Amino acid sequence: DSPVQYERVGADVTMKCGSMDWDAAVTWTANGTDIDESRLNGSYLILKNVDLTQSGQYSCYEGSSWHLKYQTSLRVGTPPREPVLMCRSNNYPKGFYCSWHLPTPTYIPNTFNISVIHGTKEMVCEKDAVPKNRCHIRYLQLFSTVKYKVTLTVTNALGKNFTTLTFDEFAIVKPDPPESVVAKPVPNNPRRLEVSWQNPSSWPDPESFPLKFFLRYRPLILDQWQHVELSDGTSHTITDAYAGKEYIIQVAAKDNDIGTWSDWSVAVHATPWTEEPKHLTTEAQITETTSASTSSFMAPPTTKICDKGAMVGSGAMAVCWTAGLVVAAYSVLFI
Amino acid sequence: SPAGDSWGIFTFLCAALCNLPALPALNCSEELGAGQSIQQTYDLTRYLEHQLRTLAGTYLNYLGPPFNEPDFNPPRLARAERVPSATVDLDLWRGLTDNARLAANYRAYSRLLCYLRVLDGQVGTAELRHRLAHFCASLQGLVLSIGGVMSSLGYPLPAGPAGPPAGPPEAPPAPNDFLKKMDDFWLLKELQTWLWRSAKDFNRLKKKVPPAVVTLRLEARGF
Repeated sequence: DSPVQYERVGADVTMKCGSMDWDAAVTWTANGTDIDESRLNGSYLILKNVDLTQSGQYSCYEGSSWHLKYQTSLRVGTPPREPVLMCRSNNYPKGFYCSWHLPTPTYIPNTFNISVIHGTKEMVCEKDAVPKNRCHIRYLQLFSTVKYKVTLTVTNALGKNFTTLTFDEFAIVKPDPPESVVAKPVPNNPRRLEVSWQNPSSWPDPESFPLKFFLRYRPLILDQWQHVELSDGTSHTITDAYAGKEYIIQVAAKDNDIGTWSDWSVAVHATPWTEEPKHLTTEAQITETTSASTSSFMAPPTTKICDKGAMVGSGAMAVCWTAGLVVAAYSVLFI
Repeated sequence: SPAGDSWGIFTFLCAALCNLPALPALNCSEELGAGQSIQQTYDLTRYLEHQLRTLAGTYLNYLGPPFNEPDFNPPRLARAERVPSATVDLDLWRGLTDNARLAANYRAYSRLLCYLRVLDGQVGTAELRHRLAHFCASLQGLVLSIGGVMSSLGYPLPAGPAGPPAGPPEAPPAPNDFLKKMDDFWLLKELQTWLWRSAKDFNRLKKKVPPAVVTLRLEARGF
């Protein structure tokens, strides 16, 4: 297997044909294609100001015998720029995780090394299988006054770089967004929307470390959000919605006392309950009366009663069932 | 809300029962009183934490660099061990009894108050003296509040410096100006960490003691 040769973008590369003399007659190929003699200086191949497209397999053959004298795999890349490192505790008080990436690609393989120092102690950050470029640490002690210092070093064949983060235990606490956000209209209330959600599943101990929440909502047609901060509970009823307008709603979470707000949850849409128009179109009326008189076994559509509200909750189901029973009883009378 | 109404009824009954001379002291009014004062103590820690942020900022600027640099991360010297630390093993913290939890807070703030009062006497500017005095008064209130919770739950107060101190115990004076400033730095750091910890301590205590959704003033026993 041919050795790999790493070179920087923009560098001048000189390749020697193994142990052949400078004045030997040779042919160079790049990925199997012959290279023009103008690129050669004797038996040396000169590549000036290399770019990424020149990565590949370079081979050198003796002039007459076509013996392979030398082969190398050229990889053009860059040394690493300062990596971007982020550490966060979304599972306080269990621990925290750090994740990193390079701001620009290097086009060649990189290795990352992370070290975590707490006071005088070095802690081990266990690498996650998925996603890569992430590791996690368990807290051994809580309420520490000593900062954590995380250093990430990235190394490749062309150079190395590093970055450091220093932080207090409390400063990096940021929960994941709330889950299962649901917004429902409230029957017979044209200005209300009932919103409920759950604690993020990554937050391990909401009993001892309660979360508070921030709700924002607006009708789709407006840009201005309305905000509500809630110090407990995982539900809230909006009472000032514009009648008949579709709303977009999001929730964020934060530890009651420390750290920062989570990102916004997935947005949910809901429209407040609106009253059914009293009159039906004439076409619909005719269909209804016809089906009621002609069919004894076929239940007339019960969807009219059950259709109220955009979402079906348990209350609406009870109405459906009742309607179904009434219709069934009525139908039996017709037998 | 319906939940509030049933609590109201419950507390009314409890108060009525507790005042029947025939029954042995049910202590329920005291427990409900404790629930309210746990909430008050929690609120006090949040207020103090907020106050401390301003105070610490001013004080560290007064100390000057490197103490007022955000990245300043000195090693903990042995002499800093005198200041009671909030740091604790996670499982140990979880397993603390209510009494132990409250006592740890009581002892810590009593001692921190002592140290702060010494600071108050030495500090240079009038603004700082004013801020420190105000903070010490609030911190004294916190100590008393914790003491009140402990008493209402029937726990004995920990022995030790509770009232105005003669001076912090076993405190060799700092041999030089820099080390003195380090002492001050760690004092403020520990105070800040304790206030964060106390919020969590009192959250846990809130769950244990029934919440007092009380509109009746049960403290006035002449009911």
